[in-house]
Amino acid sequence: MEIIQVLSYGILLGGLYSLLSSGLALIFGVLDIVNVAQGAFLVSGAFLTWQIWDLTGIEPILLIPVVALLWFGLGIIIYRTLFVRVAPQGPSMTVLLSFGLALIIEGALNLIFGNKFKSVQTSYSLQSYKLGEINFPAPQVIASLAAAVVLVLLYLYLKLSWAGRALRATAQNRDGAALIGISHRKISSFAYGLGMATAGAGGVLISVSYPIYPATHYEWISKLLGIIVLGGMGSIPGAIIGSMLLGIVEAAGNTYAPQWTILFFYGVIILSLLFKPEGLLGARSRKDSV
Amino acid sequence: MNNSYKGLRKTALVAAVTALGLLITGCGIGSSKNSDPLVIGISLPLTGDFAQPGGAAKKGYEVWASLVNEDGGVLGQQVELNILDDASSAEQVVTDYNRLINQDKVPLILGTFSSLLNFPASTVAENNEMVLVAPAGGSPKIFEPMPKYYFFAQQATAPRQAEPFVNYILSLPESERPKTAAYATMDDPFAGPVIANMQALFEAAGIKTVYSKVYPPETTNFQPFASAIAKAKPEIIAQGAVFEDGVNLAKGLIQIGYSPKAMFQTSAPSNGAQYSDAIGLANTEGIFYAVSWSEKAPTPMNAEFVARYQKLFGAGLVPEEDAADAFAAAQVLQAAVEGTGGTDNPALADWLRANEVQTILGPLSWDEIGRPQGDFLLAQWQSGEVNIVAPDVAKTSNNLIFPKPAWTK
Repeated sequence: MEIIQVLSYGILLGGLYSLLSSGLALIFGVLDIVNVAQGAFLVSGAFLTWQIWDLTGIEPILLIPVVALLWFGLGIIIYRTLFVRVAPQGPSMTVLLSFGLALIIEGALNLIFGNKFKSVQTSYSLQSYKLGEINFPAPQVIASLAAAVVLVLLYLYLKLSWAGRALRATAQNRDGAALIGISHRKISSFAYGLGMATAGAGGVLISVSYPIYPATHYEWISKLLGIIVLGGMGSIPGAIIGSMLLGIVEAAGNTYAPQWTILFFYGVIILSLLFKPEGLLGARSRKDSV
Repeated sequence: MNNSYKGLRKTALVAAVTALGLLITGCGIGSSKNSDPLVIGISLPLTGDFAQPGGAAKKGYEVWASLVNEDGGVLGQQVELNILDDASSAEQVVTDYNRLINQDKVPLILGTFSSLLNFPASTVAENNEMVLVAPAGGSPKIFEPMPKYYFFAQQATAPRQAEPFVNYILSLPESERPKTAAYATMDDPFAGPVIANMQALFEAAGIKTVYSKVYPPETTNFQPFASAIAKAKPEIIAQGAVFEDGVNLAKGLIQIGYSPKAMFQTSAPSNGAQYSDAIGLANTEGIFYAVSWSEKAPTPMNAEFVARYQKLFGAGLVPEEDAADAFAAAQVLQAAVEGTGGTDNPALADWLRANEVQTILGPLSWDEIGRPQGDFLLAQWQSGEVNIVAPDVAKTSNNLIFPKPAWTK
């Protein structure tokens, strides 16, 4: 029975991680940008949720479309004003830029909200659902379900819409996509905006599950980077599988040997990379390929 | 007559110029003594993981400087704080104190926040023979190198924080005394020793350990801990928590509905509204924690500290314990400077080892390696506010809640 409980916790955790990491994978897949500011965008989305909830008392989950849309617009602005100038100078410069952005966001959150933890309280914050002896904490269940809904919508959009197909085409072959008239500049800012929209939606979800604090973006980005490396940089399905796997590893570690959880978490990543360096669902790339 | 008049005029002129010169020189000496500020160098974690206590400590230092300067300063000099941000980094804290001491040439320094940061800071202080009075940093590890210049400005070192709670539990009649306990602690140089010492003391008294785990600071998901603890059915749950981990374990226990007879957490419950907002005010009822300070304490300067804090940072705000600890650390340094009549750091260290200092935490004194010799206070959340329940001399309430009431969902 304990194993089932551990698996339940792991899958709930993995569900949340799936959404949080998908945006990071999307941005890398299309833009070759390791967006280390993703954790800061996530935490700032959580703070925005807290602020609106604090002022209005609105159910936070209802804010997903609002925050996601705002972050989408913000993402397009950030890409067009900053990344478009730096991206041609190579991946290391975009890492530096996004790290700088993360620090600026952390500082801004400190100034606006203070160095204090904020908590969103909902009617289900302290509730749990029971199935026999198995507990399902309500905030995690709701966050995971909402993450699944957002991911399905994202999948359908990428699969069925013209913009989605253009985006996938660019991710597969940038030059080929350009040849058939897909503007790299437009699709890049769109991809960055979409990645940020998932951070906005994810921010809403972490606000109902955890106390939030500006500096927590470091913890989030280190986990999310681990997940997309395991899943295969740039692969959204890989990010989802990596999230589930590492969610279960984390829950098992916390149950049986918490002092080794971090080692297990990154150990799984290192082990899998030894056997599959491109990640679970990553594409092998050759430097001499065109 | 004319000559004598000329001579008189010349003498008067010389006298006037001399007097003026003396006056100017005198003023110069005077002004150099009184108008040059006494600069105190401080590194604090104003960003990063410890930004919250670091920000509170900054406020505490600023309140002290404000009150001291209004009262004429220290040894007639106005105090100026030179505060650097160490970004919660152990590497940066070393850079900061080296810069303050060797580049900025500050005559005095005050400590940073957390044992994790004060440990490297103390090595810089030792190497430069500078007194470092620290508002946090009671980990036993800091005292292992036998420091000569490090002074921890709270009542006792970390392991002894557990003692008031242990003493209370062991004072209960045999029939009421809990028989089992669970321990979970962050792998943290402050929180870890508190829980390790508590476990040792309880085990020695016959209270059986049914769960004991250490977790890394990065841990955020505590439902698995809550389930495992509930399965072990302990009557006492003790957690070496910082903040988020304390809140998340409490929430996990509330969600699965397991309430022990007594619950003790380090640090997290001392965060006032942040703690009660996170787990729900009703669920704070009966939770214990050890504390160094209370806003209700009748200690000298405490009322002035609270009033000035509220004047500077917002009416009605209750100062954080971390702010009070920083204020007390500054009081300790001030007492040593005034006691020795200067800023000779080896003399300050000798003075502190030989004298007791009155602070808003109460009287503080130290042994040869800077370990404080007092006792912490035992606090408990009662009806939505915090009361000191032990020791008798510091009590703010004679009521004590045991067993802890069930959680409210």
